[in-house]
Amino acid sequence: MSKAEESADVAASVAEQPFIGQRLPRKEDRRFVIGKGRFTDDISVPGMLHAAFVRSPHAHARIRSIDTEAALKLPGVVAVITGRELAEFTSPFVCQQEGAAPMEMDALPVDKARFAGDPVACVVAVDRYVAEDGVDLVEVDWDALPPVLDMHHASDPGVPLVDEKIPSNLHTRETHRYGDIDGAFARADRVVKAEFRSQRLTHVPIETRSVVATWDEGREELTYYGAAQTAHILRTTLADRLGLSENQVRVVSPDVGGGFGLKLPLFREEFTVAAMAMRLKRPIKWVEDRLENLTASNHARDDAVSVEVAVLNDGTVLGVRANLWADFGAYAFYPPSYIINVIGWLLLGAYKIDNYEYTVNVAITNKCPAGTLRAPMAIVTWASDGMMHRVAEELGLDPFELRRKNMLSLDDQPYQSAPGYPYEALTLREGFDETLAKFDIDAFRREQADAAEKGRLIGVGIASVVEPTTYGSAWYKASGDDGSGHEAATVKLEPTGAINVTAGIVGTGQGYETSLAQVVADALGSSPANVDVRLGDTYIAPYGMGSRGSRGAAAGHGVAYLAAMDLREKVLGIGAHLLQRPAESLKIVNDEVVTRSDVGVSVPVREIARIAYNDPTSLPDGMLPGLEAHRTYDPPFMTFSNATHLCQVEVDAETGGVTIVKYRVHEDAGTLINPMIVDGQVHGGVSMGIGQVLLEETRYDEQGMNVSATLADYLMPTMDTVPMIEVEHLETPNPNTPQGIKGMAEGPVQGAVASVALAVQDAVARSGGRLEQLPFTPSRLLGVLRASRSG
Amino acid sequence: MYGFEYHKPSSLDEAAKLLADNEEASLIAGGHTLLPTMKQRLAAPSAIVDLGGIADLKGIREEGGNIVVGAITTHDAVAGSDVVQAKIPAMARLAGGIGDPQVRNRGTIGGSIANNDPAADYPAGLVGLGAIVRTNKREIPADDFFVALFETALEEGEIVKEVSFPVPEKAGYAKFHNPASRYAIVGVFVSRGPQGVRVAVTGAGPCVFRVKEMEDALSGNWSADALKGITVPEDELNADLHASAEYRAHLVGVMARRAVQAATA
Ligand SMILES: Cc1cc2nc3c(=O)[nH]c(=O)nc-3n(C[C@H](O)[C@H](O)[C@H](O)COP(=O)(O)OP(=O)(O)OC[C@H]3O[C@@H](n4cnc5c(N)ncnc54)[C@H](O)[C@@H]3O)c2cc1C
Repeated sequence: MSKAEESADVAASVAEQPFIGQRLPRKEDRRFVIGKGRFTDDISVPGMLHAAFVRSPHAHARIRSIDTEAALKLPGVVAVITGRELAEFTSPFVCQQEGAAPMEMDALPVDKARFAGDPVACVVAVDRYVAEDGVDLVEVDWDALPPVLDMHHASDPGVPLVDEKIPSNLHTRETHRYGDIDGAFARADRVVKAEFRSQRLTHVPIETRSVVATWDEGREELTYYGAAQTAHILRTTLADRLGLSENQVRVVSPDVGGGFGLKLPLFREEFTVAAMAMRLKRPIKWVEDRLENLTASNHARDDAVSVEVAVLNDGTVLGVRANLWADFGAYAFYPPSYIINVIGWLLLGAYKIDNYEYTVNVAITNKCPAGTLRAPMAIVTWASDGMMHRVAEELGLDPFELRRKNMLSLDDQPYQSAPGYPYEALTLREGFDETLAKFDIDAFRREQADAAEKGRLIGVGIASVVEPTTYGSAWYKASGDDGSGHEAATVKLEPTGAINVTAGIVGTGQGYETSLAQVVADALGSSPANVDVRLGDTYIAPYGMGSRGSRGAAAGHGVAYLAAMDLREKVLGIGAHLLQRPAESLKIVNDEVVTRSDVGVSVPVREIARIAYNDPTSLPDGMLPGLEAHRTYDPPFMTFSNATHLCQVEVDAETGGVTIVKYRVHEDAGTLINPMIVDGQVHGGVSMGIGQVLLEETRYDEQGMNVSATLADYLMPTMDTVPMIEVEHLETPNPNTPQGIKGMAEGPVQGAVASVALAVQDAVARSGGRLEQLPFTPSRLLGVLRASRSG
Repeated sequence: MYGFEYHKPSSLDEAAKLLADNEEASLIAGGHTLLPTMKQRLAAPSAIVDLGGIADLKGIREEGGNIVVGAITTHDAVAGSDVVQAKIPAMARLAGGIGDPQVRNRGTIGGSIANNDPAADYPAGLVGLGAIVRTNKREIPADDFFVALFETALEEGEIVKEVSFPVPEKAGYAKFHNPASRYAIVGVFVSRGPQGVRVAVTGAGPCVFRVKEMEDALSGNWSADALKGITVPEDELNADLHASAEYRAHLVGVMARRAVQAATA
């Protein structure tokens, strides 16, 4: 179908959508509430063994030898395997990045451990207790090396290489230029500088990484049970690295207790377990413990943005030059420049700035590898809005006026950002204006001044979020990264009229079983109760790109809707034949094909389904039996949604503690499938952003030991810190996606990082405090306050 | 965790005998401190002697003008006790601010003080009120009970039976807590009563300590203002991820003032 036809189709069907847009309770919650969810650790297979890993106590150390003898003698230990042995029958993962050195990663390291917690051997035993005892008995002869821990000095002379196969610890340094940047700076009245730095974080899903791998020696096939946000890509990688054909591997992602971008790649522990299951021909389970999760799963962020902004005295922003840094840790599960480049092209945020240059620097260090954590580009909104506030401060202008003046509105769109991204149907200035209309900023400034008299520090922050949700294949091509943005779905109307749906997206708690049922029910004139959704099993689901970013709605639900619309056409075709009416005059309502005009002429879908399967000779001439549709869909280059966040805080001037007093979100994610689920995404994302600004931090000491390895030290946001969050929706449909869906999920993190950080900055600004490094812990904040008071 | 024997005696004497007979035995009350260390294999007792079956150790009573709390009384029971709320509301609030509901419904006063975690709340309450710890062998004033980091005056085989708190005229507790565990980063308990004026600080140093200068100032003038400008030296204070020694020293002043402000009769 052409784009125009598709939108006409959309227009026709929008009128009859009883379920899209409804706050339906989540279908999947029943099984969770009655305790009948089925998570990986709930899976037990007869004869199953358990794995545990020997981990490096050093941040950087050569492995002279590994002695497994004592462990092998322990009753109950079945096998102990090292990286060297695994390398004999598995292939390494090779991470390619255009224009940079590829990085290789073995199943387990062979010669060297690269961070404290790096797994170097695996013990397989009859139960986890024995496996852990076995781990204690494995003796590794280490030769400790100096650790590389500071990204800014990772490539200084004399610093050892973390990965000896690449030329430098500074893996990536590249510059991107758009427009006339030199001219902009030459014309500027002034250049304003600002810095924004985020700490190292980790995902902390309630369900840690888990796997059960079974090898069926009869069929010669591997079944891998484990959370997999991208089940099919995982299958391809597993098959490739184990020397199997892709039809010998089945990946099943059962119920998942949170992914947050952690459960995407094939990790080394899971891979080792799969390889060992094959080798031992025995099922093996491994469930990561919390210590492993915090120290050795995947980290994220640890990035820094410094900008120079060329401005005119009237507040016109002529150009921006940015220098971006990221500490990627020890290995590459993703192309090292992938995330920091997203920060690069998104850094101008909501503002119309034509001349732009950014340089990315990515260092490889002796820390747990970094990867994608919900809103990998979270820093951009804080940086783009924050730099505008710095400009206003230096020019003595009102920051909100200045932002407004440079901010994109609907009138400016379609708009192409300096780095070439198409912005369409974004209500940035509109949301900003609406937020300010409901918050009397002048009254607040008076209240703030009064409070200051009494020694109280209060502040407000407003964030303008541009959230890239759905990456099309064209984006992957243009970025030089391997990959596709397409998605796939299959919809089946069974002989009794029951509907089964599957797609390539994989749920990790988003409520897909409900929202997919809503879109399919609408397309087929049925009800969500009649639609069952199964995801995450590569035997059932078609090959798609899984769940990452915020692609689930526009890509995953978009394609399911299109597939259901194809099926609808067939149903109507059969209905037309049976009712002797043109198909165009028919519609499906409440599982019945009825005419648009004449009341009383109808045929139940159930009857149509029966004929399609059990009486195909009654079908129209030439029509094939059965009722199923399979569709793929490649979304546009890039789809965006947007939001405005407002946060009001009070900072305790004596302790540095921050209390969030008010939190309000204006979200515009286009057409909403289930606004309740979207609200939930906002609540969760804002909580994560609050955690990033106020609490969470992965810390290493000078030896490279992780000193935040328990949940008493890695502080998660709880209901103590997270306030009531008010959410309002604008629904400006995207003209290029099915149903105008834009999707959302990461934006709330961006918005909270920015609005909370700006609010705290606003609260301390009066005392001259400047906050550039997250998190704003009480002790840090008090330090800033005291320094600025005495300074 | 490694294997161990389990005993549940019904009297204090029986418990003492079990301790004497098993060299590597450990008492267990709520288990909220002991079990995690056993799970991490940091502790490996050969036998566990569970105090939970000794009825005498449980409960709160008034005795000669003092409030007596049995060793296996949970934090929740102290927080919810009518007597404690009426006579020493600051102590009820202290107990009600320990950890979370799970912790408060398992953790006991005896376990807490025997463990003497530098960040625990009760040590500040006991020292701040001048309480007496009664064991199966003797009475120990709180000032002498808490000796050093995780170290108390308890001898081998000695069991905490109960704690006797004098009822103060005024008492208050303020703490700045770790957001996850709610252990004190700094907690200050202040009181004025039969044991004079007391200011006891937990969380800040390796062990609970009193601040003489603050006590003197409050003796002359019971008000938060009287504490202005009084500082504690930071050199012996704790430093960790969440708070430097300097920050803790600062918080001692802030929490002491807030404790005085919160102090009720
Ligand atoms: C998540 C979490 C948060 C917490 N937050 C706080 C907090 O905010 N503030 C705070 O103060 N505490 C906190 N705690 C500690 C909690 O209060 C513990 O329960 C308490 O410190 C120990 O009490 P217990 O009864 O569990 O002792 P157990 O763990 O059973 O025993 C601890 C030690 O004391 C010994 N022992 C126990 N009873 C006696 C006795 N009668 N005589 C002699 N020795 C004895 C045991 O042998 C053991 O060595 C927290 C604990 C957890 C797990």
